[in-house]
Amino acid sequence: MEHWIYTLNIAGHAVSLNLDTIFTMWFAMAVVIIFALLATRHLSLEPGRLQAISESIMKFFYGTLDTMIENENRKHVPLVASLFLFIVTANLMGQLPLRIIHLKNGGELASPTNDINLTAAMAVIVLIYYVFMGIRAKGPKFFLHELSFTGIVMALVEILEMFTRPLSLAIRLFANIFAGEILVSIALGGLAYFLPLPIMLFEILVAFIQATVFMMLTIAYIGSATKEEH
Amino acid sequence: MVDTATVSQMAHLGAGIAIGFGAVGAGLGIGFATKGLMDAVSRQPEVAGKAFGFFLLGAALSEACALYAFVIAFMLLGK
Repeated sequence: MEHWIYTLNIAGHAVSLNLDTIFTMWFAMAVVIIFALLATRHLSLEPGRLQAISESIMKFFYGTLDTMIENENRKHVPLVASLFLFIVTANLMGQLPLRIIHLKNGGELASPTNDINLTAAMAVIVLIYYVFMGIRAKGPKFFLHELSFTGIVMALVEILEMFTRPLSLAIRLFANIFAGEILVSIALGGLAYFLPLPIMLFEILVAFIQATVFMMLTIAYIGSATKEEH
Repeated sequence: MVDTATVSQMAHLGAGIAIGFGAVGAGLGIGFATKGLMDAVSRQPEVAGKAFGFFLLGAALSEACALYAFVIAFMLLGK
C-alpha cells in the first residue's frame, strides 16, 4: 500500500513521483501494446485464434457504443477501448505475485490503479474529451441550452457535474482496487494460504466490473454531451 | 487543549462510524438492485442474461458508495 516516492526538484518546485506506479503503469501499457501489435500482425479473412479473440473484443465495444450513443458513435472507439483494456490489465496485475519484490521505502509492485493519481489523470482525460465533443457537437449551446430560469439552473448543474463526475470516476476505481488489496492482506493475516484465495477470485471479477463501469460511464457522459436536444 | 492521544482515539471511533453507516447505504442499494433483478427475471425469464449485466453494473455503482466511506475511514485511521 505504500508508494516508493521520489522527489524531483524542477525549477524550485518539489515534484513527487510514485515510481512504483510509473513502473507498473508502463508494464500494463506494454502488455496492451504488445497484444495489439500481435493481434494486428497477420490479418486475414479467415481469422486465426488471436484475431478471433480481438475481433470479439472489438465487437463488444461496437455493440456497447451502438446501444448507448445515437449518432457518430464509432469514432469514440479509440478512447473507450484503450481505457477499458488498460484498466483491465492494470487491475488484473494486482493479483500477480509481484509484491514479494521489496522496493525502497516500503514500496511494492501492485496494480497501478491503487494510486489515486493515475485514476484521477484518466478521469480528467475523460472530462476534457466529453467537454470537447459536446462543444464540437452543439457549440455554445453545450453550456447554455436556453436563456430562461430553467436553462440557467441546468447550466449551473452542468458546471457542478464537471467537478463531481471526474471525482466520482477517480475515487470509485481507486477505492475498489485499494479496498481489495487491503481485504486480501487482512485475509492473509487471518488464515494464510486458504482465506485469501476466494477473495482474490472475487477481485478478478471486480477488476472486470470496475473496468466496465468506467467504460460505461465514459460512454454515458459522451452520449449525454453529444445527443440532440429536442 | 485536547491531547493527541484523545484525537487519535476519536479518529478511530470516527473511522468505525464512517464505514458502518457507509455500509448500511450500500447494503440497501445492493438489496434493492437484487430485488429488481428478481422481479424482472420472475416476470420475464428470457431477459435473465441481459438483466444480470445491468444488475452487476448497478451493484458496482452502489458498492462504490461504501468504498468512498472506506477511503474516508482509512484517512481517519492515519490521524
